[in-house]
This record gives sequence, C-alpha cells and structure tokens, in this order.
Amino acid sequence: MKAKEPKKRKEKRETEIPSVDEDSGNHKEPPPETAEVAETEKSPPGRTGLRASIDFKARGEPFVWIMGGALALGVLMIIGFLALVLWNGIVTFYPGPVEVVTLKNGKKIAGEPFRSESFRPSEDQLKGVDPESRRAIREADGFASRTLYRIGNFDVYNEDFKWAVAHQVAKTETPPGIFFVERREWGPFIGFIKTLTLDGRSVPGEKVSLGTLYAAHDEAVARREAVRSIEVDEIGAINYYIEEDRLALRRTELDYGKKSAEYHTEKEKFERQTKERRAGFTVLKKRIAAINEEDEKYKITLTEIGGREKQLRLSELVRIYPANDLSFFGKMGVYFSRWGEFLTDDPREANTEGGVLPAIFGTVMMTLLMVVFVAPFGVVTALYLREYAKQGTLVSIVRICVNNLAGVPSIVYGVFGLGFFAYTIGIRIDQLFYPEKLPNPTYGTGGLLWASLTLALLTVPVVIVATEEALAAVPRSMREGSLACGASKWQTIRNIVLPQAMPGIMTGLILAMARGAGEVAPLMLVGVVKLAPELPFDSFFPFLHPERSFMHLGFHIYDVGFQSRNSEAGKPMVFVTTLLLIAIIAFMNAFAIMIRNRLRRKFVEGQF
Amino acid sequence: MSRFSRICGLAFAAAICLVLVAQLAGAALMVDKKLPAYKATSGVSGNVKSVGSDTLNNLMTLWAEGFRRSYPDVKIEIEGKGSSTAPPALIAGTSNFGPMSRAMKSKEMDAFEKKFGYKPGRIRVAVDALAVFTNKDNPLKCLSLPQVDAIFSKTRKGGMKTDIATWGEVGLKGVWASKPISVYGRNSASGTYGYFKKVALYKGDYKDSVKEQPGSSAVVQGVASDKFALGYSGIGYKTADVIALPISKRTGKKCYSPTAKNAYAGNYPIARFLYIYVNKNPNQPLDPLRAQFVKYIFSKEGQQAVIKAGFFPVNAAIAKLDLGALGLGLGSN
Repeated sequence: MKAKEPKKRKEKRETEIPSVDEDSGNHKEPPPETAEVAETEKSPPGRTGLRASIDFKARGEPFVWIMGGALALGVLMIIGFLALVLWNGIVTFYPGPVEVVTLKNGKKIAGEPFRSESFRPSEDQLKGVDPESRRAIREADGFASRTLYRIGNFDVYNEDFKWAVAHQVAKTETPPGIFFVERREWGPFIGFIKTLTLDGRSVPGEKVSLGTLYAAHDEAVARREAVRSIEVDEIGAINYYIEEDRLALRRTELDYGKKSAEYHTEKEKFERQTKERRAGFTVLKKRIAAINEEDEKYKITLTEIGGREKQLRLSELVRIYPANDLSFFGKMGVYFSRWGEFLTDDPREANTEGGVLPAIFGTVMMTLLMVVFVAPFGVVTALYLREYAKQGTLVSIVRICVNNLAGVPSIVYGVFGLGFFAYTIGIRIDQLFYPEKLPNPTYGTGGLLWASLTLALLTVPVVIVATEEALAAVPRSMREGSLACGASKWQTIRNIVLPQAMPGIMTGLILAMARGAGEVAPLMLVGVVKLAPELPFDSFFPFLHPERSFMHLGFHIYDVGFQSRNSEAGKPMVFVTTLLLIAIIAFMNAFAIMIRNRLRRKFVEGQF
Repeated sequence: MSRFSRICGLAFAAAICLVLVAQLAGAALMVDKKLPAYKATSGVSGNVKSVGSDTLNNLMTLWAEGFRRSYPDVKIEIEGKGSSTAPPALIAGTSNFGPMSRAMKSKEMDAFEKKFGYKPGRIRVAVDALAVFTNKDNPLKCLSLPQVDAIFSKTRKGGMKTDIATWGEVGLKGVWASKPISVYGRNSASGTYGYFKKVALYKGDYKDSVKEQPGSSAVVQGVASDKFALGYSGIGYKTADVIALPISKRTGKKCYSPTAKNAYAGNYPIARFLYIYVNKNPNQPLDPLRAQFVKYIFSKEGQQAVIKAGFFPVNAAIAKLDLGALGLGLGSN
C-alpha cells in the first residue's frame, strides 16, 4: 500500500497540470485527451452540475467544435473541388447551339457561345456607340456584357475565338442547317454545306439528307481506318524488321569489324532481305493509293458565314452535326461519341484534340509497375526492421531516415532518377547490351522503367511505415502460440503474421498508389513526354518496352493547360483530363480496397 | 460575267485579279508557293527524340504528327522544357533535334565543338514575333521599345530616364493612370526570356516584380485574367482575351503590329527566327530519318503546320539556304 502511494500522487499531479494552466487563463492548449482526463479527475461524479457548465472549456467542448469544424471544412473543400471538376468535365463534350451574330456594322460571326461576362467599357470603347445603348449601359452602372464565341475555321480566320459585345450586336439567331464540323486538322469548321460529292457526283447542300451524309461519312472513316491499319500494322512491321536487320548488321560490325568475313555475309544478307522487304512496300503503297483514289471521290464543300468556301475530303472529318437541328437524343449521341473518341483515340493537333488513350495507358502502366517494385521492397524492408533487426540506435536512425524520405520534395527524386537510373545505370546498360543503337539511347534516357523505379523510391517510405504499423498490430499471443506449436520464426511470419498484417500492408500500398499516380514533377525528368503515341506495349517481341518514354495524364493536364497554343480551347480539356485522372485513381484504389476487404473477410473466417 | 473575264484577260488587270483573289482568300497566312509538297520515300524508320524549346513544343508535335502520316513507324518523342535544355541533350547524345527559340550561345557552341570537333548544324524553321500583350480592355495603342525596357527592366539600358511602374506613365488616363502595371514574363530556362532580355531589355536585367510563368500560354492566361497586366510571349499564343500591342523601335517612331508582313520586313522590332539544331558531321551525310524530317519541315505541309502553330512560315529562299547547309536540296530526295 505504502509503496503505491507516492506513484498515485505523482499521477494526480501530472494530470492536474493542464487544468491549472487553464484556470490561470493560459492560452496554451492542452491536447484534448488530457483535458478530458483532467475533467474527470477534477470533478468526480456527483459534483458535476454547476461546475461543468461554468468551466465548459475543461470539458473539451471547444476542441470538439474545432475538430468538427476542421473536418467539415476539409470535406467541403473536397466536395467543392470534385463538384467543380465533375461539372466542368461533364459538360465539356455537350454540343451547344451555333449562333449567328449580326453586328451593327454588318459583320457576321457564327460560333458556339463559350462564355459571357459583364465588363465596364471605357470611354474609348464607347466611341461610336449609339445613344440608346449608351443609356442602357449608364443605367446598368456602366456595365455592358459580352459573349465569347468559338468561331472555329482557324485556317480561314487565323483565330479561334471572338468576343461579341452586346451593344454592338444587331441580332442573334440560331439558323437551321448550320453545321459544326470537327476536322482532323485545323480544329472545327462552322458553316453550311454547299455541295456534297459522292462517288464523283455532286449534290447541292439543301438536298443532302442527314442519313446519306452520315452513311457516306461512315464509309469514309472506314477507308481512313483501312489506310491507317495498313500504315501502322503492315508498313510498320516491315519498317520494324528492316530496322532490326540494320541493327543486327551494325552489331556484327561492332563485334567483328568492317573488314571481316562475317560482316560481309551479314551485309549481303541484309541487302537481300531489305530489298525483299522494300518490295512489300510497293504493294502496300499501291493498296493505299487505290483507297486514297477512291477517297478523293467523296468530298464535301463547306461555306463559312462570310461566304468563303473550303473543300474537304469526307475522310478528313471526325464528326459533323447540324448544331441547331439536333434533338436531345441527337445531342446525347454526339456527347457520348465525343467521350468515346476521348477515351480511345490518339491525341491530335499537338494534344489539344483527339483522345488521351496513350496517356491513360501510360499512367496505369506506370502505376502498376511501380506497385510491382514498391510492394516487395517496402514489405521486406519493414519485415526486417520490425521482426529481425535488433531494436536499438541504428534501427531508430534507419527509421527516422525512412520517415524523412517521405518529406523529400518529389522533384529531388526526379533529379536522382535521371542522374542515377538514366545517366548512370541506363548508359551502362546501353553500352553493354545495345551498342548497335548508340548514339541513340535505349535505356540511357528517361523511360517507363526509370519512371516507375523513381516513383517506387518516392513511395517506399509510405509502404514501410504502413507495413511496420501493421506488423506491430499483430497480437503477441498469436506469434507466441505459433512458436509454441513448434513453428520456426520464418514459418510464424509467413503463416501467421503476414496474413494478419495483409490488410494494413494493402492500405499502405493504396496510399502509395494514389500518391504515385498523381505525381508529375519527377516524371517530367525521367520519361514523361508530350507526345509518344507508341504505347509501351505492342505486338513486337518482347511486347512490353519499359525503355520507351510515355505519356501521363498529369503531365497532359499541365501541357494542355499551360503550353498549348490555344489556351482558351485547352481549358475545358484540362477539366476533362483531370476528371479522368481522378476517376482512374479512384478506380485503382477501389480495386485495391476490394482486395483488402476480401483479405480481411478471409482472415476473420479463418480465425474462428 | 463576260465583261469581268474580259477585263481579267488584260495583262495589267490580271495582276489586280490575282491580288483580289489573294484578298478573297482572306487575311489568312499563306505558305510560300515555291515550297514543294512533301514526297515520302521508303525505308525511313527509327526513333527521333527532340529536346528543347517549349515555344517550339507544339510546332514540333505538329510536325511529328504530319511526318508520322508518311512514316507511321517512325517514333518521335518530344520534350520541351526550355531552349537551354537543348544543347546539353544534343551534346550528351540523348536527342537528335534541339529546337531552340534563340540562337545557341558561343559557350554552348564551344561545349558542343569540344565534344564532337565540329559545330552543330542549324536550320531556321519559322519566324516568331514576340508580342507584348495587354488585357483586351486595355486602351493602350502603342509602346516603344525603350518604354518596354523601362517597364520590364531595372537597369533601363534602353535609355529611359525614369522607371515606368504605372499605366499613367505610358500615357493612359482616367482609372488607368494610377494603376500599377502588373508584369508577366517567362522563366529563365526559356529562350523567350533570353531573347526578350537581349533585344527588348538591351541585355539589361529583369525587375524582380516580373511574374515568371512556366509556359508561353501561361503568360497569356495571366494577362487575360489580370486587367492591368502586361506580358510578353510568342504571337502564336494570342487568344481573344488579349491584345498584341504594336511596338515601335524608338519613342515617337511609327508603331508596327506583330504581323507576318511587319516581321518579314523587319519593321516589327522583336521578331526572331526559331531554330532547330542538329548534330551534323560535316564529313558525313545526314542519316535518312533526320534528313527526311528536315525536308518535311521545309515542305509545304511543314510550313502549313507553322501557321497552324501560330507562327509565321519561312520562305523558299531561307529553306534552300538552310537545307543546303545540311547537304540537302529543296524538294528532291
């Protein structure tokens, strides 16, 4: 009894310290738990009542409110951000009407209204404005409104957007029969169909039915696809093998020297083979020429609002629709077809149009590859640190280092990845295994492999910390039970500890994945490029090409947002791409969470 | 109709008709008609990597897209982080093309020569007018180069006696007079930064208050959203929200807009060539892949892409000269 006495007193004194602080009006805020303990210590049951209501601070009420408020604020910001991205991303592809604006000076503008704003015109801008409009502006406190129109036809006007100021507009109408034409080059064209030439015969625009137009367009697209397939698959294969042969020859040259017999036989072989392969070209080129000749017979002539004409092959159109005559379902059709193009097509026109398939592929591929590297590495490290290493100063230092690694700016990892992986290891690999390709680097420059490894380094602390926590949470009794049954330490870890810790490890991996997929800065140095339309995965052995640079959705957002010529048209694309990136990360996380839950269930079942 | 054709039949009127036709075709820029259409050859494949200017980033991408239409299996990678990244990549051999929005400095040239023993090949691929942008509501009509210098620079080597910090000091009245000029510019890795410093700042130093942006289009977006802003960027990045100011060489002289005509004639003072540098050994011909890419750049299609990217195309004379320097000819294969 006596021995316990002083300890108890000491405890009491400790818990009393915060409450003393509060009474003296000190603003140093104690952690909430301590405050709560203090409260129970100070006011035992029966004595509460009055005291508690006066000294509400001691009950921790404000802290609960602060915490709740902080949570609410956080949730609100996240919801606000998601709503902004979601809304802007979702409406982007919805086709709007095309308005024809006749200005008071007789000029006409045709375009999709893009956004409106009110502004305060200066005296200069009001010069020559009729008195009526002037009065209206004065009545509106000097504010006037203007609308930005997407006028398209960049090849004709040299601009894509135009402002129309409300007081300069004579009338605005949405005439039927005006078409919004998306082209493979030069962006959209807005105008009327003058003639449609099908199989050499011209039909005037008024007599063209939509059905005929769409059918002819579908055929033209099929022709374009056929040409593309010949170009990419068949000519691509020939080119690929010629290049392989050339490299083989170069390799022989490097191995044996230019004067050796081996080189001569190889060279003859190369020349013969190349000749045969080149013969294949002519056949394919003839096929392409035949298709193109057919294609020439299907043309469309469009006139813009000012009367200037533009003749295009039907196959050059991506999509054509009568903007003002569409029903709701027609609009939805255009909407979903645009999404389809966005998700499955290659980018066009310096990434501002077309799809983002290579970027989606690159992002997913890199993240998965990163998980493949980071998971075993992180788990093994944590296992050793927690289970085998003698807990002491050294392990503590290692642990501190690992935790600090998580705080290193990501661009530093990028620099490290470039300097170490690409320029040190990569160049050695090139010299050893790919000397025939030099001076063109293979691994000696950024690529998918180096990017994944860099990100694996970046995220490994997260996995180590999470795994360590998970391992520590495995009850001691279970290990001891296993050891008592005669299992060795490794058997215990493999069969008891790891399965039990698996959900925690998965959580770490999920966090790592989310961090890795959203990271852009280091990737810019180690392999992400603006344009790399070849997926790092194709039909040529060894199928996966981890040395190739790749596109990434995060970088795509940066590129379209800050680097594209047409930043106005780029903005909506930024939102769509952001939406897509968030969706992909959410999807990958959901998948990992599903696996984790399954593991948990399995474990719960196994326990009983 | 018949009268019209008869008039056109006359020799002197034919010229006028041509002008008329040209005008009907609109203000749209045209590619020099002497530039040949690109003809594809066989056996071109392999990898091309370009590292360099971000001003040329879009244009390189457009060229790559066009080039791949002829050679679907050619792999083209494009990295654009600024002109200063081009020479190191060329020297290290990690890139085949070094697009730059300024000429190589002698130091960079020496480093290249030290490694390879010869100077890099240079081609002039497009003309860019560096525009000084204001917000679309800005009533300013014209700036002289020394004024631009006094706005952007703290050293004022252009000869202005006093610093210019407010819109009133460049002659705006009313609410504008007292408003400070919010200055936007590029980051220092960019060739645009270097070129503007050399020409518009007379090699002086930028003010610390210049907001450095990571991309050409970021400057334009900054100016578009800031009513009292002034910024410089390539004319190709102009949007409907900004005005490209006419610039005069000296205060009081005539101002010229950044148009193709003024840039070609040399009237617009901050127009420049855009370059691509290649590692070309003078004793060996250029390999077919790079040779064809260069030929594509100087073809009709290639120069149309220049217009599409918002720059001004080069003419056939320049194309011929620069192709000749690389041992290639215009048009022929």
